[in-house]
This record gives sequence, C-alpha cells and structure tokens, in this order.
Amino acid sequence: MSSPPPTVTKLLVIGYGNTVRQDDQAGPLVAERIEALALPGVIALACPQLSPEHAEAVAQARAVVFVDAQAGTASKVCLQRVLPGDSTHVTTHAADPRTVLALARDIYGHVPPTWLLTIPAERFGFGTDLSPLTQHAVEVAVERLLEMAQAAPA
Amino acid sequence: MSKRIVIEPVTRIEGHAKISIFLDDSGQVSNAEFHVVEFRGFEKFCEGRPYSEMPGITQRICGICPVSHMLASAKAGDAIMAVDIPAAADKLRRLINLGQLVQSHALSFFHLSAPDFLLGWDTPPAQRNVFGLIASHTDLARAGIRLRQFGQEIIQELGGKKIHPAWAVPGGVRSALTKEGTQKIGAWLSEAYDTTFLALDLFKQVLTSHQREVQLYGNFPSLFMGLVTPDGGWEHHGGKLRFTDSSGSIISDQIDPEDYLNVIGEKVQNSSYLKSPYYQPLGPQDGLYRVGPLARLNVCSHIGTPQADEELKLFKALGRGSVTSSFLYHYARLIEILASLEAIERYVGDDELLGEDLCADAGINSLRGVGASEAPRGTLFHDYAVDRNGLLTKVNLIVATGQNNLAMNRTVAQIARHFARGPEITEPMLNRIEHGIRCYDPCLSCSTHAAGRMALDVRMIAPDGAVLDRVVRD
Repeated sequence: MSSPPPTVTKLLVIGYGNTVRQDDQAGPLVAERIEALALPGVIALACPQLSPEHAEAVAQARAVVFVDAQAGTASKVCLQRVLPGDSTHVTTHAADPRTVLALARDIYGHVPPTWLLTIPAERFGFGTDLSPLTQHAVEVAVERLLEMAQAAPA
Repeated sequence: MSKRIVIEPVTRIEGHAKISIFLDDSGQVSNAEFHVVEFRGFEKFCEGRPYSEMPGITQRICGICPVSHMLASAKAGDAIMAVDIPAAADKLRRLINLGQLVQSHALSFFHLSAPDFLLGWDTPPAQRNVFGLIASHTDLARAGIRLRQFGQEIIQELGGKKIHPAWAVPGGVRSALTKEGTQKIGAWLSEAYDTTFLALDLFKQVLTSHQREVQLYGNFPSLFMGLVTPDGGWEHHGGKLRFTDSSGSIISDQIDPEDYLNVIGEKVQNSSYLKSPYYQPLGPQDGLYRVGPLARLNVCSHIGTPQADEELKLFKALGRGSVTSSFLYHYARLIEILASLEAIERYVGDDELLGEDLCADAGINSLRGVGASEAPRGTLFHDYAVDRNGLLTKVNLIVATGQNNLAMNRTVAQIARHFARGPEITEPMLNRIEHGIRCYDPCLSCSTHAAGRMALDVRMIAPDGAVLDRVVRD
C-alpha cells in the first residue's frame, strides 16, 4: 500500500447523477452550488457517476460527502455514514461510494469520515426540469453542507 | 420444478440486465437472450434542439462513454455543415479518443476481467474482484489503475475537468493541447508502456492455461465490422466501414458511414425494447456481426505502429482467417492499448496540436449528418436530420453494445450449454456467464441511458415459458 497522501482538503463534496434525467441531476446541482460559493478548504466535484479515479481525491480529504438523488418513499434529505466495502458490479465501469472508499483505503492508505447525502427524487424522465420535491430538497441539502463545512476543523 | 428467487433490491432504474436461458423439451439449453430494459425517449428528447448542442447533450447519455458520444456527435455536425475540419482539430479529436481507448480498456482488463482469470472462476464474488486482485497481485492492480488514470489524464488535458460545455463541436474543437499537457503526457508514457507489456505477458500465460475458455466463451463463426483506413489499416476515428467473415474474407468494404443503413438492419426482440443490428444483405439469422476490439483487429490488415503490429501478427495466428473466440477480446484490448500508446507518442511530439486553427465555420449545408467513431466497445453512429434552421427533426443512435447483442446472446447460450446441470442456475455457471458478458465489456448505460445501478437477473425458462430458476446478482 502507498503511504497515505497529505490530507489537503477540509471537506470534499462529490455530487453525481445524470443531468438530463430530471431529478437525477440533484447531486451535480448541489455540488455546483457548493463550488460556486468558493468556501475555503472545500472542494466540490460534479460528475455523471463515480469512478475509481475519485479514490485519490477522497484519500486527500479530511471529510467527504457524496450527494445523490434517491427514488423511493423518503421525502426528506437524509445523511448517513458510509463505510468502505466492495460493491463491484458485474459489467459496469461505474463505482459507488463504498467501492470508492475501499479503493482509497487499499490503494492510497487513507479513508476519511464519509457520508452519503441523499436527496428525495421522483422524476427520472428525459429533461432538465426538477420536481418541486427535489427542488426544495436541493436547497435543504446545500444548507446542510454549508453547516458541515463551517463545523469542519480548518 | 424447482424455483429459487432472490429478493432484488429496489432501484430507481427501469429494470435489470436480464439473461433468459431457454431449455428445450429434453432439458438442454436451446437459446439465451441477454438484454437490458431500454429506457426509450432520448432520441425524441433531442428533437427540436439545435444540432450544435448535441455534443454537449449526448455526452450525458452515459457517464462511462461521454467522449465517444461527443466525438460521434461532433462528426455528425461536421457533416451537416459539410466542412473538413482543420488538421489540428482532427488530430486533437483523435488524441482524446486514444485516451478514451486506453482508460476504458485498462479498466475492463484490470478491474473487471483479470480478477476472474487470475483468481479463478469459482472464487466467491466477494473476493473475485479488484480488491481481491489488489490483495493478491498488488503491483499489477495498482499499475492497472495508473494506466487508466493515464487515459483519463489525456481526456482532462484536452476536454477539461468540467462536464460541460463540450470540447469537440461541429467544425472542430474548442481548445488545443498545452505545452504543459504535452510534457505531462510524455512523461507518463514510459510507465504506461511498462504496464501494457506486463499485462500482455500475463495474458499470454493465461492463454496457455485457459484454452477451454478460448474454446467455449463465445467461440463461433460470425461477421466482424469496424472502421478502416483507405489502405485497410486499423482506424479508430475516421475511415470507412468494412465487414469481414470468419474466414477473414472481406465481404463489404470502404462503405461510407453515411450509408450505414444500406448494410445494417435492426431486428426487434419480442422480450424487450432493444433492437439488435445485423448485416442486412444476409438477414438477421446469418447477419450476426461483432464490433469492438476483436472485430477491429480482425477487419484490419495492419495497425501502422511497430510494436502493436508485432502483437497483431501473434493475435491473428490464433484464428483461421478471423479470430473467433470472444475470450480473445481481452487480448485485443491490450493490443489496442499498445497501439494507442504508440499513436499518442507520435502526437505529443507534434506542435500542430498546440496551434490555434481549430474550428471551421459554416451554416447548414446538408439536412442530414452521420458521424461514426470507434468507441472502446465498437462502432458508434450518430445520425441527425435537421431543418433549415439547424433544429433536429430526427435522431438515431446505434451504440456498440446493441450491435454486439446477438453475439452476447450466443455467447451466453454456449456457456450455459456447457455448464448447465439441469434446470437450476448454479454458481459455476453464473460466474462463467458473467465473464462471457464481460468479454464484450458492454456499456449498459449507453443501451439504456440509465440512471443508477444495474443488477443482473438470470432466469432459466422451460419450453412452456415457466421460470424454473431465477437468480439476481446486484
């Protein structure tokens, strides 16, 4: 295993989802809003999906939040801890938060405290509009991340 | 009859990647179908939009292949404008496509496939993955990840780190390579070569001990299709279409991609929305063709770079005419990585890529444009019809995974036939079926424009349609 890299990022936010699939864009949207605030020590990445390369950025952070839209019965933004583990797929090149964390651990030797922030979503058709549910939840998610960024030690 | 059903998780996508294995009256495997539940509507969603937006929009079809879609889309736009793009722009587009080939093939080989043949088919899935590989072959796994990063670095040097706007546009590209980018890429090449040769040596050892897999994993006669240069060489971004058969004979050659509908028909599958392309002159039964690395090396006579050409000779010696085993897609991918590295090395010494003449300008000069480019998985077509204002009236996309669908069906059937022991889906059979699919490295996201995860749902089906067994692997 490599020596752990220097942890240069106070908080890393990775928002992922398909930006032409309506509510699925919630993750990248939140990440772009955080990036636009230019908060000191905070990096926000918006991407279509997670991939192994994200492991390096994760290993260099002191705390990480993944942001993703979530279909189902939840109507509120939900924050939950994520631990490393293998969830590798049969056929896809995409990764998920647990796999990215496991790669950060096994390749780079460091796994920061990590959370998954899920945003309730109900529309996944083709389009760039958001449902009212997700639109409201995006605002709540941005506020939540601002609180986390302010609380994170410098 | 037995039934075993695993509870599947609730996902937000439209379904799963499904495999249906059909038994005949004597209980033998008669056929198989591999398909995804396609989410229709992307093409319709694009109608009414300016064609110039399409490279940016189509990148979002799939998070795995954005570069491939961007390039094919830009080429369709070039055709609508009826322009020849500046030479520097063509080279830059080729360079980003080479980066795409390297990163995609590296992930397919090291992350998805090598764990199977290095750790063993019957190792439990919990260990038979990249983490198992990191534990048992640490240096190899790490080198493979670095090789993928190298390809990604090229893409980022050219396309930038942001997901939009699109870098390739109708008429050319938005920006050149920088001197710093050239140096960064050049400095990384030596390591990339070392990893590729390591993988090639490893796979040749694997071939020695995996002759059964060579025989059973998708080994059957078929046609092959890919782009070729005017002199029949390996082509990844321009050129014309060529079809060859399993004896290696050329059956159609130098077909302009614009005329693809003259040679490619689409067969509707009753069980899904997916349409399976076939070589039209021979019909859906005999017109099955494969695309992607195996096909590209079969249809070309040479690659044009010295080390890759040496490997190509060894590769072609594995077949009688064409190389017909889908297990050898893995070998073909490694050869294409080597070819890409040699081509990249030539480009980083070329100052034209630093230039400023990057985009041609024109109006609407054709009401239809077709762009074809070799994505890592195979030939990708974007076909656009526009009105006089450049607004799209019709969009047709043919992705590589769809073109390999009939071949994947046959591969699954072949493997199931050899490993089936009655109506139950056993772990050994399922592990090998998974690998048979991995040989093609399908992009299920492209087939479905999916959002989210994709589980594998395998069913054994009796002649009367009853589901005898079912396993879902998530």
